[in-house]
Amino acid sequence: MIYAENLRKEFTKNIKEPGLKGSFKSLFKPKKEIVVAADDISFHVPQGEILGFIGPNGAGKSTVIKMLTGILTPTSGSCRINGKIPQNDRKNYVREIGVVFGQRTQLWWDLPLLETYTVLKEIYEVEDSKFKKRMQFLNDILELQDFINSPVRTLSLGQRMRADIAASMLHSPKVLFLDEPTIGLDVVVKDNIRRAIMKINKEEKTTVILTTHDISDIELLCDRIVMIDKGKNVYDGSLRELKKNFGQMRELSFEVDPISGLDVRKFRENIDLSDEDVIIKNDQNIFTVRFNSEAMPVGDMLNYTLSAAKIKDISVKDADIEEIIRRLYKEGAGGNE
Amino acid sequence: MNKIRKQYFPFMRAGIQSVIAYRMNFIGFVIGGLVYCFVMYYLWNAVFLSSGSDTFMGFSMTDMVVYLFLSNATGEITFSSVSTDIGEEIRDGSISMRLIKPVNTDMSYFATEIGGSIIRFVVFALPVTIGIEIYRYCMLGRIMFEPVNFLLYLLSALLAYIISFRVNLCFGFVAFYVKNLWGIGILKNSIVNFLSGSLIPLAFMPEWMKTILEYMPFSSMNYTPVMIYMGKYGTTELFVRLAVQAVWALLVYGLSKLIWFGAVKKLCVQGG
Amino acid sequence: MRRAFKIYRILVAQNLKRIMEYKADFLTGAVSFLINQAIGIAFIFIIFSQIPALAGFKLEQIVFIYGFSQVPKGLDHLLTDNLWSVGYFIIRKGDFDKYLTRPINPLFHVIAETFQVDAVGELAVGIGLIAYSAPNAGLYITPLSVTLFVLAIPFAALIYTSIKIITSAFAFWIKSSGFIIQMVYGMNEFAKYPTTIYNNAVKLFVTYIVPFAFTGYYPALYILTGENPLFNIGGVVAVSIVFFVISILIWNRGLKAYESAGS
Repeated sequence: MIYAENLRKEFTKNIKEPGLKGSFKSLFKPKKEIVVAADDISFHVPQGEILGFIGPNGAGKSTVIKMLTGILTPTSGSCRINGKIPQNDRKNYVREIGVVFGQRTQLWWDLPLLETYTVLKEIYEVEDSKFKKRMQFLNDILELQDFINSPVRTLSLGQRMRADIAASMLHSPKVLFLDEPTIGLDVVVKDNIRRAIMKINKEEKTTVILTTHDISDIELLCDRIVMIDKGKNVYDGSLRELKKNFGQMRELSFEVDPISGLDVRKFRENIDLSDEDVIIKNDQNIFTVRFNSEAMPVGDMLNYTLSAAKIKDISVKDADIEEIIRRLYKEGAGGNE
Repeated sequence: MNKIRKQYFPFMRAGIQSVIAYRMNFIGFVIGGLVYCFVMYYLWNAVFLSSGSDTFMGFSMTDMVVYLFLSNATGEITFSSVSTDIGEEIRDGSISMRLIKPVNTDMSYFATEIGGSIIRFVVFALPVTIGIEIYRYCMLGRIMFEPVNFLLYLLSALLAYIISFRVNLCFGFVAFYVKNLWGIGILKNSIVNFLSGSLIPLAFMPEWMKTILEYMPFSSMNYTPVMIYMGKYGTTELFVRLAVQAVWALLVYGLSKLIWFGAVKKLCVQGG
Repeated sequence: MRRAFKIYRILVAQNLKRIMEYKADFLTGAVSFLINQAIGIAFIFIIFSQIPALAGFKLEQIVFIYGFSQVPKGLDHLLTDNLWSVGYFIIRKGDFDKYLTRPINPLFHVIAETFQVDAVGELAVGIGLIAYSAPNAGLYITPLSVTLFVLAIPFAALIYTSIKIITSAFAFWIKSSGFIIQMVYGMNEFAKYPTTIYNNAVKLFVTYIVPFAFTGYYPALYILTGENPLFNIGGVVAVSIVFFVISILIWNRGLKAYESAGS
């Protein structure tokens, strides 16, 4: 369905030093630098899959999405979607895809929402009968009827996002690209949007590629994730596998008797773990140890802590994905942070 | 005084930096202005040829060239974009960010803009002035530059700048009522260009019109400094003209303050 | 082609709906451009109060040339104003992405999206001045000459459009090319007057390099004198086609270099 092969994208960037002096300097001697936004990115997405495309800010996610959607031309490498190369056959290619950039809108700002759909209907050559059915379908899953006659500029962010997703789905695309579809939304709206994405994927076998910073998006939606950092592919696989490989972090919280207290420094010195594998936090009488249970079994950590202080209460937490990703980022970056 | 310097210097520096950062836009406008000057030059050339006389309503061709280019350069120094800036800020609501800063709002705009004007003076108006003098030397065979006139020109140009800034400031508040700032900006510019004499020297207008326009604030924004540089005024008239400029500077200052207070009240009512 | 026309009609209809919502603003725009042009013409009348003819043309003829030059300019302004936004911010802000994800030609799409009613001001002044000056300008009127003259108008407008396409496309490489459009577009001032008033270098420049002379003076000269239709009218057609082809080539290369913006 979607094949990306060794995608690479370079940008040239002007560098300006700060301050008045820097301004004058860049006036006479502009400094240029080549930035590699994506480097040797390869992956494959089968039809009907929801792929989570994740990575820290500036990792190159959007650059890759823009190459896949035909907006950017790769410096080298290629991609093929439905057997088409976006850059070669742009007009026919984009008929088969839908694109939503969470930070932008493709809706006509000053006009009632419905007008956008009637224009897009013509642009994508959707037949009248199909259009009616389609609007019905989109209305069912995205609940547009409440604001379909309001000017777009009066919509709330959540409504606008639903409207934008509907706009990208109007022509029944085979692939849907969602770049941060839940950005800036509250929990309830996020949930709505996730359910809609899931429904679209189930009912129409639409392949979805989505980028997000929200871990719940990934946990709830994605069959598989591709993680990139500094333009490089650092992980490609299922979420479960990721958890298995990196999910050995445990968090123990103790409520310490304030009278006996606990010397954090001493506590740390007696644990034979590297800084990568253990983080200790002490907030008043709540004492938290987060550690790699592969390097030190949970039982050992418990015993050790119980011997070191008078404990009133204990709680154990499982690894959460944010922690996994944080660790993965560090490894991808070679631990130089 | 020191406190004022410290408080407003950053604004001025920001103004200089933004002219440098957007230097290409600046160069584009400058070249656009020069193209206009050259079109006018050829047009006047044709007018002088067609009229068959060396002077046209008291202007020689050399005078005309000086007038065209100096008027353009003066326009660059006294250029103020405060009306569009304020307009945009009113429209997108960011003007409230300015109101919460512990500085005088119009002074902060002023400091930002004067930074840009200094740059424009150094890199544009000064070279144009030198060019004009070289041209005059070539045409007339002697140096026509008058240091006293030049200094008086600078004084007059400063007054012109203050008036231009204040008029633009007043105009910026139109954004409360009109959305099409671009269209209204074009309207403003063409009216000001006409009434200030930068399009056609006021000397060419019918006597009654000339008299009225000379006492309106617009001529103080461009025509007066240029005429002073060219030495077209006798001593008495010179002082009258400078006095007219000073009076207008005060009047538009007061007017802008008045509108400003009204605007702040309106902002509070509308909630920005 | 029929599909393009249909989409164009629909996009323009959307635009008109928007205009209806902001009536006052569009009226302001049109009136602004009208007054802007009217003040320009006042200048010519003031000059002619002192001289009988300019470079061999009498007042009505100069006014005719001036008025005619506003028609292709206004036509282009009416139809392709969005190119300014392309140069100033659509590319810089990365908003051009949208056009690339749609199954129609992005250039067509971006142009079709705006219908600039402000241009009515220029068109009104242009047509008004032609109407005012035509009776006394001594026009050379035959069925053929009028046909050729009217035919030249869309081609003259295409010269404006091509120049705007070329200059706005520079933004694909340098992010913001508004200043270049401003600079080059500003040279249309040259089109308002007979090229005989300029020196040879300027004349060659506005005829072949930035060919605004073909958007005003040359076609107007043809209807004023009936002379040299091959150059005065044929030139408009030839130059506009050459420039349009060049503009499309540059635009298409620009699309490949488009870098979008941020993330």
